[in-house]
Amino acid sequence: MKKSSLLQIKENEKVKILEILGGSNLEKRLMSMGVYKDKELIKVSHIGLKGPVVIKVGRTILALGHGVAAKIIVER
Amino acid sequence: MLKKIYLIGNPNVGKSVVFSRLTGVQVISSNYPGTTVEIAKGYLRLDNDKVEVVDLPGTYSLEPSSAAEEVAVSLLKELPKDEIAVINILDSTNLERNLLLTLQLIEEGFPVIICMNMCDDAGHRGIHIDIGRLEELLNAPVISTCAVTGAGVKLLIQRIKEAKPSLRIKLTHEDRWLEIGRIVEQSQRLEHRHHNLRELLEDASVRPVTGLIMATGIIYFAFKFVRFIGEGIINKITDPIFLNFYQPILENLTFHWQEKGFWFHLLIGDLINGKIDFKQSLGVLTTAPYIELGMVLPYVVSFYFILSLLEDIGYLPRLAILLDNILHRLGLHGYAVIPVLLGFGCNVPGILSTRVLESKRERFIAATIISIGVPCIPLQAMIFGLLGKFGGFYVSGVYLVLFSLIIILGIILNRTLSGYSPEFLLEIPPYRFPPLLMLWKKLYFRIKGFLIEAMPVVLLGVLFINILLYFKLFDFVTGIFAPLIHGLFGLPKEAVVALSIGFLRKDVAVGMLMPLNLTANQLFIAATLLAISFPCVATFVVLTKELGFKGLVKATSIMVFISIIVGSLLHFAILR
Repeated sequence: MKKSSLLQIKENEKVKILEILGGSNLEKRLMSMGVYKDKELIKVSHIGLKGPVVIKVGRTILALGHGVAAKIIVER
Repeated sequence: MLKKIYLIGNPNVGKSVVFSRLTGVQVISSNYPGTTVEIAKGYLRLDNDKVEVVDLPGTYSLEPSSAAEEVAVSLLKELPKDEIAVINILDSTNLERNLLLTLQLIEEGFPVIICMNMCDDAGHRGIHIDIGRLEELLNAPVISTCAVTGAGVKLLIQRIKEAKPSLRIKLTHEDRWLEIGRIVEQSQRLEHRHHNLRELLEDASVRPVTGLIMATGIIYFAFKFVRFIGEGIINKITDPIFLNFYQPILENLTFHWQEKGFWFHLLIGDLINGKIDFKQSLGVLTTAPYIELGMVLPYVVSFYFILSLLEDIGYLPRLAILLDNILHRLGLHGYAVIPVLLGFGCNVPGILSTRVLESKRERFIAATIISIGVPCIPLQAMIFGLLGKFGGFYVSGVYLVLFSLIIILGIILNRTLSGYSPEFLLEIPPYRFPPLLMLWKKLYFRIKGFLIEAMPVVLLGVLFINILLYFKLFDFVTGIFAPLIHGLFGLPKEAVVALSIGFLRKDVAVGMLMPLNLTANQLFIAATLLAISFPCVATFVVLTKELGFKGLVKATSIMVFISIIVGSLLHFAILR
């Protein structure tokens, strides 16, 4: 098991969410979109130069700003 | 007694399409979250009763985390629960995520009827939902619909009265997701599918290298296509109608017109070499309809055709991803491309849709940038029409100045305004290919809207200007501003009239420049000034509505300041 943020993992990697840092508001928002602890996700892409990270959770594709992606801690 | 029906659901599940089907009221629907920024209302006839139907903005949960979600939830709680019915619309291709809101609605005791929309799309993707089983599990009526074709809508209407509250214990978020997992497992069957072309394109368009190549190509072709179609309509349809059909009728009229006095001046305007010249006569029956129908309308049609196509396919949120880091430097995030692109059609819907942005700060930056740096399609059409004949160099010059302005202004606003801009968090819809009929309907709706709004203003505007010109009432204003216009911007004093008409409508303002015989450079400066200076009156009204009076004063001062700086800089750079 290895902990890292969404920024550090590679494209097409499948990971499980360990925790979501940052305020409860972000956690609530992500929760209502189906992104929560223990949920599995695939990283689709990462736009460079502090651009957003695109993930796939279930059938939902989400774009997360760089700062949000840094707050999502996953295990490989 | 049923008083109101609410449509609620996650963003981008097709609520507005269902709404149009139920009420016959046409509203704009697109394939991206947040199309509905204004609450639409309409009526549905149910057993001889007229019941109000309200289309709520999309929400993921009953515990709101954005302004739009707050609006949706508070409206839902306006009336007692026994006087309403709630149609919960779900995207059949994404049952799991959509069910969170459904369970919350049932837990809260709302009388719910569930509408599984986009059922045909689910079928194509190998997703099979057992409607009967879902109905048992949720203990509420479930209807499968495909609102774009209308399938299932009749059944939905028939069963609305079956919406009754059902019992369910309130769960925590975590337990709710577990429960949803169980429901989905029992009611949904997935066929195994390989990646198809659509999914490959979906992924490629959000990856850095392939995404950028696709974006460049799409934007380039979109622009070329708008010009190509617009010019095509002018050359093949509108110009022949005006020149071969309308002009002879008018000339016949002028021939029999004995006394060419006040009314002649008003309606026909000046004769150029004894003939009517649609570009220079400036009459209510000559130049006014020609500007709107012969120069602007063709581009309105071509622009909205391309925009509607990109909207419905679902490309715009992907463009938002690619532009996110640039827009961050301007204090915005990627999703600001939506208001900006809509602003290229007309600033009014552009500024209205800044509501998709969460913070007041972002909305101020976006609205200011749009009203200064984003020219609406009527203005662009006139710029193509007038500057185009001097070569693409001048046309691209205007865009280049505006683009640099957006960047500089954004960076300055981002550095100086207090507060911060929130992070980007957006659901990306799959690519969809809606029936062509839907596209035509939307295009028709937008063009009709344009004509209804523009024609009266243009006709009355030109009438009003002609009266002022006839009695030489403009001379006073011209006298005051002439030194400014001439000294700073290098424009003849008659341009004062045109620039001040810009407050009424930008296209008419450029039209007023036509008889002045300006040089290419002067025209370039005047067109750029018209784009950045004062917004037209309609934009002004929405700016007040969205920013409040203080915000409006702030935005307007920025505009006046920038116009003077840019106008004089351009003047000294290219005319001297």
